Amino acid sequence: MKRIQLSIILLMIIFTGCENILDLRPKDKLDGIAMFSDPEGVKLYMANLYSQLPIEDFNYRRDGFNGWIGENMYLSMFTEEATHSEYSAFLDPNNLLWWEDGYSLIRDVNLLDNVIPTLNVSDQQRNSMIGEVAFIKAYAYYYLVKLYGGVPIIDELQEYTGDADDLKVPRSTEKDTWDYVLRQCDIAARNLPSVWAGGERRATKWVAYALKSRAALHAASIAKYGERAAMSGEAVTKLLVGIDKSYADYYYEETIKACRAIMDSSSFTLYKENPANANEAAENYRKLFEFPQNATDEVIFIKGYTLPGSGHDNETTFNPAQTANGWPHPGRMCPNLELIDQYESYTYPGSSAPIQTSTAPNDLTDYSGFNVNKAYHRYDNPYEIFKNKDARLWGTVILPGTQWKGVDIIIQAGLIKPDGTAQILTGDPFTYNGKTYYTYGAANNTGYSGFNLERGNYTRTGFGFKKFLDSATPVVYGYRQGLVDYIDFRFAEILLNYAEAVVESNYMKDDAQNQAYIALNRIRHRAAHTVNIPLTIQNVQRERLVELAFENKRFWDLIRRREFHTLFHSKKRHALQPILDLRVTPAKYIFVRSEIQNSWPATFYEQQYYRPIPGIGSNDLIQNPQY
Amino acid sequence: MKNTLNCKFLLKGFSKRIMAITVFLLAQYFIVNAVNLENENVEKQRQDKITVSGSITDVHGEPIMGATIVEKEISSNGTLSNLAGSFTITVSPNATLIISYVGYNTKEVLVGQSKSLKIILDENVELLKELVVVGYGTQDKKTLTGSISSIESRDILTTTHSSLAQNLQGKVSGLQIRQNTGEPGDFNSSINIRGFGSPLYIIDGVPRDGSDAFQRLNPQDIENISVIKDAAAAIYGLRAGNGVIIVTTKKGAKGKTVFNYNTVYGIQQPTDMPQMANRAQFAEMRNDADVNIGLNPFYTREELERQKSLPSTDWYGAVMNKSAQQLQHNISANGGTDAISYFVSFGYLYDKGLLKSGDLNYEKYTFRTNINLNLTPNLKGEINLSGRFDTKNEPSAGYFSVFYGARTSLPNSPIYANDNIEYPAIQGYLNPVPLSYSDVSGYNQTRNKAFQSSATFTYAVPFLKGLQLKGSASYDNNMTMGKSLIKKYNLYSYDPNAATQYIPIPKNSPSKISNSNYDGYTVTLQGYLIYNTLIAERHKIDATLVYEQQQYKDRNSFLMREYSFYTNDQINQASENNQRTGGVEFESASKSYIGKFNYAYKDKYLLEYAFRYDGSYRYNPEKRWGFFPVVSAGWRIAEENFMKELSFISNLKLRLSYGKVGEDAGAPFQYVPGFSTTGGGNYEFVDGIWTAGAAAPSIVNPDLTWFTSTIQNVGFDLGLIQNKLNFEFDLYQRDREGLLARRLISLPNTFGGQLPDENLNSDQVRGFDFSISYNDKIGEFSYGAKFNFNYARTKNKYIERGPFLSSMDKWRNGFNDRWSDIVWGYEYAGQFNGHEEIQYAPLQGGILGNTKELPGDFYYVDQNEDGVIDGNDVVPLFFNGTPKLYYGLSLQASWKGFDINAQLQGAGNYTLRFRELYAEVFAFKLNTPAYFYDRWHKADPYDPNSEWIAGKWPATRFVENSGAMYNESSVWRRDASYIRLKSIELGYTFSNKALKKAGIGDLRVFSTIHNILTICDPFVKPFDPEKIEGLASTGFTYPLTKSFNLGFNINF
Repeated sequence: MKRIQLSIILLMIIFTGCENILDLRPKDKLDGIAMFSDPEGVKLYMANLYSQLPIEDFNYRRDGFNGWIGENMYLSMFTEEATHSEYSAFLDPNNLLWWEDGYSLIRDVNLLDNVIPTLNVSDQQRNSMIGEVAFIKAYAYYYLVKLYGGVPIIDELQEYTGDADDLKVPRSTEKDTWDYVLRQCDIAARNLPSVWAGGERRATKWVAYALKSRAALHAASIAKYGERAAMSGEAVTKLLVGIDKSYADYYYEETIKACRAIMDSSSFTLYKENPANANEAAENYRKLFEFPQNATDEVIFIKGYTLPGSGHDNETTFNPAQTANGWPHPGRMCPNLELIDQYESYTYPGSSAPIQTSTAPNDLTDYSGFNVNKAYHRYDNPYEIFKNKDARLWGTVILPGTQWKGVDIIIQAGLIKPDGTAQILTGDPFTYNGKTYYTYGAANNTGYSGFNLERGNYTRTGFGFKKFLDSATPVVYGYRQGLVDYIDFRFAEILLNYAEAVVESNYMKDDAQNQAYIALNRIRHRAAHTVNIPLTIQNVQRERLVELAFENKRFWDLIRRREFHTLFHSKKRHALQPILDLRVTPAKYIFVRSEIQNSWPATFYEQQYYRPIPGIGSNDLIQNPQY
Repeated sequence: MKNTLNCKFLLKGFSKRIMAITVFLLAQYFIVNAVNLENENVEKQRQDKITVSGSITDVHGEPIMGATIVEKEISSNGTLSNLAGSFTITVSPNATLIISYVGYNTKEVLVGQSKSLKIILDENVELLKELVVVGYGTQDKKTLTGSISSIESRDILTTTHSSLAQNLQGKVSGLQIRQNTGEPGDFNSSINIRGFGSPLYIIDGVPRDGSDAFQRLNPQDIENISVIKDAAAAIYGLRAGNGVIIVTTKKGAKGKTVFNYNTVYGIQQPTDMPQMANRAQFAEMRNDADVNIGLNPFYTREELERQKSLPSTDWYGAVMNKSAQQLQHNISANGGTDAISYFVSFGYLYDKGLLKSGDLNYEKYTFRTNINLNLTPNLKGEINLSGRFDTKNEPSAGYFSVFYGARTSLPNSPIYANDNIEYPAIQGYLNPVPLSYSDVSGYNQTRNKAFQSSATFTYAVPFLKGLQLKGSASYDNNMTMGKSLIKKYNLYSYDPNAATQYIPIPKNSPSKISNSNYDGYTVTLQGYLIYNTLIAERHKIDATLVYEQQQYKDRNSFLMREYSFYTNDQINQASENNQRTGGVEFESASKSYIGKFNYAYKDKYLLEYAFRYDGSYRYNPEKRWGFFPVVSAGWRIAEENFMKELSFISNLKLRLSYGKVGEDAGAPFQYVPGFSTTGGGNYEFVDGIWTAGAAAPSIVNPDLTWFTSTIQNVGFDLGLIQNKLNFEFDLYQRDREGLLARRLISLPNTFGGQLPDENLNSDQVRGFDFSISYNDKIGEFSYGAKFNFNYARTKNKYIERGPFLSSMDKWRNGFNDRWSDIVWGYEYAGQFNGHEEIQYAPLQGGILGNTKELPGDFYYVDQNEDGVIDGNDVVPLFFNGTPKLYYGLSLQASWKGFDINAQLQGAGNYTLRFRELYAEVFAFKLNTPAYFYDRWHKADPYDPNSEWIAGKWPATRFVENSGAMYNESSVWRRDASYIRLKSIELGYTFSNKALKKAGIGDLRVFSTIHNILTICDPFVKPFDPEKIEGLASTGFTYPLTKSFNLGFNINF
C-alpha cells in the first residue's frame, strides 16, 4: 500500500509540476527609455540609423544599396565614365529603387524623434540628438525626392490602429519635398556640433550644410532645365514631378549660402593644395581616396569600413587581372575613352584634350579599327601618348604599361606584323627575330590585363581602374574584404557646387563671381595646373566630370541637368587599343580608337528621370510619368 | 527473413511478439515451476525415456519462440521453444506432443522413431491480433479508426542504406520521401506525410523532433514505425499539424541470450553523371561563341585543328573516384529472466565518399540498451538508453565547390603547372584538385554526440482491475562540435622564361581556424492514468489521461582566429589579431493535457474521442493554450451477420475521422515589445571600431497564435480470401487557417514599419492514398506484393496582399483559390529556322528586339498577339518542383532457404529546372555539358557566309550574348516524373546441423542492389530526377548513388 501511495504522490508531483515553465522571456530585448538615456545607448541606435543612410558608397550598385555581388554594375557604368568588362546592360526601371527601405529609415528615425522630449538628458545631448534626427530625415527625403520626385512626407511616427486608410498620405509636390529637405538641413546645421568628441564620424554642422548644398543644387537644376525633357501626365500637372522655372534662382542661392557657410568657416581646405609638379599632384590626388582618414582638411564626411565588421568589394572587383591575387572576377570597371578624352593637357589648358592617334583629319571620330594606310603616331612605350595629361587622369586610371602594386600592367590589343598584317584581338604567338610576341602582350593569361574577353576579367576599353584602390595590400580573397573608406562629402565638391550655382544663376552678391572663379581654379591648381581658366558652365561641368569621376556624381549631374536622354541615344562608348607595331625596329606602340568589343549601344529613356513608385495599388499614390 | 538478431521472433506482426513475450514469461513461470515440483518423479522415469529435439516455425518458415510443448500423456512434462524456435524434451517412446501457441492452431505430433522434429504451425486467423502503436498507447489494428500506416522491422531492413529514410522510401502508403543528395553524412531526405510538410517524430513515446536525428537512427534497432496520417495526430497537439511518425525500438525477451551479428559491405556509384565537353568539342564551341556574335574567331583555323587533336584533361577523374565503399557492422544481444529482459546493440557505419582524396566521409557509432524490469507483480519498469557518436569530414571548400571545379574546369587546362605535380595550376575559377584535399586546403569536421534516456514505471493498481498508473521521465542531450580549418595554399602559373618559373598565387589567404559548439538538452515528463474494461462482454472501454511537459535549452558558441603563419590546426597557435567570437542561447517549453477514450461495441462499432490541451511558451500568456480534439469512428461491416454469407470477404471496415491539429508558427516572443539589442545595422563611427547597432522595436502582435489544421479522412479496409488480398483506401482533406502573413503588403508602403506576423492566410491539401497487398504460399514457395500510392495537391485559399491594379494583375499575380504548385512560363513554339524567320517573328528581346536571336534559338507563343513576347505572354504551364504523387511496389518471395525482395518506387507530377552549368551554354564561361555540342553552327566557322547546320540546341554563345533562349519554357523546365528500382535483395539462409553444433542458430548471406534502374525524361536522367537542384539550382549537389552490397547475418 505504501508503494501505491508513493506512486500516486510521485504522479501528483509531475501533474502539478511547475506552472511557470512556460513563462520564458526573450534574451535580446531592451526598454526604449533606458536605451536613449545613455549616450552609448543612443550610439547603438544611431549605428542602426546611419547604416541605413542612402550613402552611395562602394557597395552601391544598380540593384541598390548593399547590392550583392552578382553583376557588379555601378552607376559610372551608365555614364560615359566606364563600361563593365562583361555586361552591356543599361539602366532599367527595376534599378535604383529605394522606397520601402527609405520609409523604414524614416519610421526608425521618427521613433527616436518621438522619444527625445521624454528623455532626461543634458541640453547638449538633446540638441545633438535633434540635429542628428533632422540630418537623417533630410538625407532620407533628399534621396527619395531625387529618385521619385515629390513623395509623401511622414514627419511623425504613424501608429497602426487597424485601418490602413488612416496611414495613407498623398505625395507632396516635388518643390515642397525639396523645401522639406532644405528645412531639415537647416535644423540639423543649427543643432549639430562642429565636431564630435573623439572625431566620431557622425553628422556635424558642416555635413548638414554639405548635404544642403548638394540637395539645393539638384533642385535648382531641375527647375532650370526641367523643360529639356518635357513630361506629361497627372504627376506633372499636380506638380508631383518638376519644379517651376521661377524657383531656379532661389535654389541656386540656397546652394550658394550653404557652400559659403562651409567655405567661410575655414574648417576645410583642399588636401595638399600646392603640389610641386604633376607627378606629385597625381599621387596626392590618389592618396586622398586611398587614405581619406589622413585628409581631414578636405574630407567632410566619411563612411568607413572595418573588419571584423564589413568591407566592400572594390579591391577584388576593380583590380586589374594581373594584381587580382587569385580572385576570379577582377577588372570589372573599365574607364572609357570618352572620359580619358575629357582630361585637359597641360599643353593646352582650358579644354579637353582628346587622344590623337594619327594626323588623319577624322582621327577623333574614326572608330573603324586599324587601317594599314593610316599614319599612326608611334610611341616607345604604351603610356607615352598620355604624357602631359592632367595629373588626375594618372591618379584615377591605370594606363597601359604603368606600374600598379609593383607590377607592370600590360594592356595590349594586338600587334602589327612586319609585313603590315594586323593581328588584333586574336591570333597565335608570333615569333620574329628570335623573339615571341603575343596578341595580349604576354604568354600567360595571368600575365596581362587587357582585351581578352574571357570571363570579363580583362579591361575592354584599354584602361584599368585605380581611384579608391589600396595600393599596397595584396587583394584579399573573399567578398567584402576591401577596407578603403568612402568619402561622402568633400570640400572640392562644395567648391564645384558653389561654382556651378554662381555661374548658372549669374549670382553677384558677396563677390560671388570672383569667389567662384577662384574656387574652380583652386581645384585645378591642386591638379598641378598653373593657367587659370574662366568661369563658364562648360568648364565647371568638365571639372566636375574629371575631379569627381567615379564618385557617383556624373550620373546624377546628367539626371538633374536633364542631359541624359540627349547624350545617351543609342550611344556607343569607346576603347583605345594599344598595339605593338613590328613594322619598325625596335618595335613601337601605336594606338587605335575603336569600338568596345561585344558591347551594345545604350539609350536613356526620359521616363527614367524618375523611378516608378512601387506599391501603387495599396498606397493610392499617383504614379510617375510613363510607368 | 533473418537479417537481424531479432528476426527469430520477428514473426508476422507486433502483436505476435508482444504475445510471445507475455506467453513466454507466463508459461515459463507456471510450467517450469510445475516441472520442478515433480522433479523427483521425472528423475525416476528418466531411465527409459528418449530425448527429442525439434524446431517450430510458422508457414513462412519463421521460427516461433515461446510455443508450449507438452507430452500428451504426462501433462506435467513440458517445455517452451527458445528464440530460435527449437526445443528439447525428454518423453516416453511413442509419446504424442501437443504444441500450442497463441494465434496458431494447436497441433498434435507423434514422436515415433524420429528424434528430430520439424513442426509447422498454422495461423489461427480468428485469434490473430495485430497491435499498432498509436499516440500514447497501442491498439489492435482491427479496431483502429484513424488512418495509420505501420511498417515492421523486417520490411524496413529489406533495404540497406546509411539513412533510415532510404529504408522506408516507397514502402509506406502516404509517406512521401525524397532523397535530396547522396552526400555521406547529409541526412536531408525530405520526409513528409501526404504532402503536409515536416512531421513530428516520436521515439519510444517521447517527442524527439528532427528529421535529421530520425534519419540517423540505426535501422537495426527499430522494431516498428507507425505513421499517423490523419487528425488522429491531434493527440500530439501543437506540433502535429503535419502528422506524426512514431518509432518503437526493440525490446528484450526472456530466454537464453541470443547474439546477432550483421555486416554489410557496399560499393556505391553515382546513379548517372552528365558528360562535359571534351577538348575538341570545347574548342569548336568556344570558337563558335565568338564567331556567332561577329567577333574574330577565338582560334585560328590551324590552332582549332591542333586543339582538336590534343587529349582532354579529365577533371572529374582527377577529383572523383568511380566508386566509394561503405561498411556496416551491427551486433546485438537479447535475452532475459523473470525479473529482467534486455536488448542491447552496437552499430558501426562508415561511408567513404566518392572523393579521390577520401576526405569527404562519414562515420557513425550507435548503441542502445533497452531494459525491461518486473519489479513486483504490479510494478514494471523500463529503462531505455541510446547514444550516437558520428563524425562528418569534408574538405574546407565543401563538396559544392569541389564538384563545381570538377565540372567546369576547362578540358584544355592542365591540372598542374608545367605538369609538375608539386604545383597545382591556377584555373579559370578554381582548381578542384587541391580543394579536394584536406591537408592542402583545410577541412570542416562536424561531430555529433546524441544521448537519449528514459525511465518509465507502470503500476497496475491492484484494487481496480484495468487501472494503471504510469510515469515517465526522459532526458536527451545533443552536442555538435564543428571545427573548420581554411588553409592557405598556392596555385601556380608557369613561365619558362621568368626567374621564378612557378609563380605562386595564394588562395584561402589568410588561413583561418574556427570552432563552433552547440549543446542542447530536452527534459520530458509524462504521467499517465490508464483504464480499460469490458462490460457485459460487449462494451469495451479504454481511457487514457496524460500530462506531459517538455523543456528545451541550448547554448551555442563560436570562435575564430586567423593565422599570420600557419603552424598547426590549433586555435592557440593562430594569431590573436582579428579573432571573432559569438554566442547565443535558446530555450523553449511546452505543457499538455491529453485524453483519449475508446469505445467498442462487440468490436464491431468503434468510436474514439481524443483531445490535447496544449500550452506553448512562444505566445502571449492569454493566447498560449489551445484545445485540439479529434473524433473518429469505425464500422466493421464484415462482422455483421448479413456479411457472413460472403465468405470471400474476410475483413471490411469503414473509417471516418475529423479533428483539429495545431502547428507552432512564427518567431517566439512576438508579443514582447522593446528594442532588440541585436539585429540593427552596424556602423564605423570610429576608425577601426565597428558598432553593432540596436534594432528598432517591431510592432507587437499580442494575438499571434498557432495555426490550425482541420483534417478529415474517410477510408475503408478490405480483406479478401482470408486476408490474403488486402486493400486500404483513404481520402483526405486538410484545411489550414491562420497561416502567418504580414499585413504590410496591404498597408501603404510609406508606413515603414515591420508589421508583425498575423494569422491571416489559409490553404488546403486534398488527396488520397491506398495500398493493395497480396500474400500467399504454394508449397514451400511463399510470395507477396504490396503496392501503395499517394496523390495530393495543395491549394491556396486566402493569401494576404494589396489590391490588384488590373484584371491582368489579378490573373497574373492572384493566388486565392488556386493551386499553389504551378509555375508560369513561355509556351515553347519551336526553333528559328533562319534569319528570315527571326526577322518576321514577334520581338522577344526587350528593347533590343530580335537583334540577339540566331537561327536555332527558341521562340514562343505570342499569347496576346501583340507582336512582342514579354511578361504578358507567360501562362501557367508547369507543376512546380514538388512531386504530387508518390508510389511504391514491394515484391517478396521465398523458397526454402532463398528469399528475394524488390522495391520499386516513383514520384510524379513535378518539374526540375537547373540553372547555370547544366542549363546554360558556357555558364561561367567555363566548360559546358557535352550535350550542347549538338547545336546550330556554321558549316565553316571561318566563312561568315557559309550555311547554318541545324542542331538540337541553339547556336553557341555566352549567356549575355544570347536572346530569349533561356526564358522559362518546356525546353528547360522538364517533367521529372520517374520510376526506379530502389532496391533488390537476395538472401539465402543456411540452417544445417554443422552450424547448429557450432552453436550457430542461423546464417544468412544476402546481397542488395540499390537505385539500379531509373526510367524518366532523358534530359533529366543524368542529374537524377529525385535529387533536388541544390544551391542556386546549379545541380552541384553530391550525386545520388546506386550501390551493390554484400552481407551476412548470423545468430549464435
